[in-house]
Amino acid sequence: MNADQSLRIAVAFAREAAKSPEARLCSACVDVLDVTGAGITIMGGGGGGHAGPICVSNPRMAALEDLQYAIGEGPCQDAFKSNMFVHAPRLDVAAATLWPSFVDLAHSTGVGAVFAYPLSANGAKIGVLTLYQDDAGELSATQHEDSIAMVEVLTETVLSLQDAAPVGTLAADLDDVVAYRAEIHQASGMVSVQLQLPVAEALLRIRAYAFADGRPLGVVAREIVTRRLRLADDRVDLPRDPKEGE
Amino acid sequence: MSDDANQRSLNRNALTAVTFVEIVDTLVDDFDVIDVLTVLTSRSVELLEAAAAGILLADTAGHLRVMAASTEQIELLELFQIQNDQGPCLDCFNTGAVIVHADLETASPWPQFAAECVKAGFPSVCAVPLRLRDVILGCLNLFMSTPVSLSAADVALAQALADVASIAIIQDQATREAAIREGQLQHALNSRIAIEQAKGMLAERGRVDMDTAFSILRRFARNNNRGLTEVAGALVAGTLNIDSLARERRPPPPPPAPPSAPRRDL
Repeated sequence: MNADQSLRIAVAFAREAAKSPEARLCSACVDVLDVTGAGITIMGGGGGGHAGPICVSNPRMAALEDLQYAIGEGPCQDAFKSNMFVHAPRLDVAAATLWPSFVDLAHSTGVGAVFAYPLSANGAKIGVLTLYQDDAGELSATQHEDSIAMVEVLTETVLSLQDAAPVGTLAADLDDVVAYRAEIHQASGMVSVQLQLPVAEALLRIRAYAFADGRPLGVVAREIVTRRLRLADDRVDLPRDPKEGE
Repeated sequence: MSDDANQRSLNRNALTAVTFVEIVDTLVDDFDVIDVLTVLTSRSVELLEAAAAGILLADTAGHLRVMAASTEQIELLELFQIQNDQGPCLDCFNTGAVIVHADLETASPWPQFAAECVKAGFPSVCAVPLRLRDVILGCLNLFMSTPVSLSAADVALAQALADVASIAIIQDQATREAAIREGQLQHALNSRIAIEQAKGMLAERGRVDMDTAFSILRRFARNNNRGLTEVAGALVAGTLNIDSLARERRPPPPPPAPPSAPRRDL
């Protein structure tokens, strides 16, 4: 990280200081990196899955971050698995082959390019910073270098948040990540008892159902928790007509 | 020609270059710090006019420990320094300065160590610090079999080798520390998620709502002197029978439900 980068990152953090700490991170990324939007996702929580997005800079990006969480597909997932940055400067046919649902949603929300950087430092890997651009096209060399500097800062920030928490408990700022998805985890627990499956498998069943049904994972989870939906045992769950969804 | 013979046939400059490459290589791959230090001791002996070498490193409590030695005898001499709290390595570690003592048979600040060292056949010693900026990590001890001083060029080379090894040690510490922090974060996340999953399981089994399920979980944990996250984890992992918890109904006034924090976007 050079002096110029440190200065710009410091200024952006200071400017955002009034907002809540985890939200500050996303806004600072958008500010420093000069992109349309940014999302930070923390990984973990059983079976190598997502813990979930910690923050997003705007609701359009939230839908894209959520989709990647729900179906386990997208540049964010690939960046985390490979521990290397993933650049998708054009969401064209090639990108759609890799991530069909993600590219679909990106098109309909007006996102033209996506860049994902693993949050890692000294070999520790905790999540992903995903950058969104409305216009297609590569990041500039400066944006790319700044992004690499930024993930170091973000990784240290998240680990420091957790360092400050009492032993064995999750830092309050990070707890929101889980709280937001509480119903999904609760639904996984319920389905695991209903179908006598391990919890991780139950989550896969719910994901598959939501995907086939064309509805957000969170909505399906809520229906399970409120006992309006019960996944069928022993057969492929037949979704309703997707047009009915939402 | 054997590898050893090959090595010897290289001139000193080439061997020096090879040694640096060898140590720097350890920075990019997975490596074992002990391996690096062992390489450092054996190359020190090959490159310098030293008969033997040893390395002491400070542990987290600041106590010196023998980490590598080119021979068993040197390991004993290093231990002797630590046990008697005297010797060139301790002075080097405490001051950060290079210590050179060409003739231990004449006066030295370490009478007991000097006697042991001379008896072992090393009348001349040198200690260079392993350091990163102001932090002294430990030191490299060189033992000579004749009462001559290590040349200034040899001392400079020894220091350069020690510096490269120091970077390897620091890198290793940073990696270990990062792995521990990552593990703590993942553990905390998983525990938190397991509580929600366990609530779902209990709610389904007992046909109760999530708040009641959480009360049952807490009550069982408290009554059995177990941690909440531990009980939740055991339930999710299937190592704790759900029905033994489901019996923990009828709590007195229900404890407050965990706050369902709204998502904080933007």
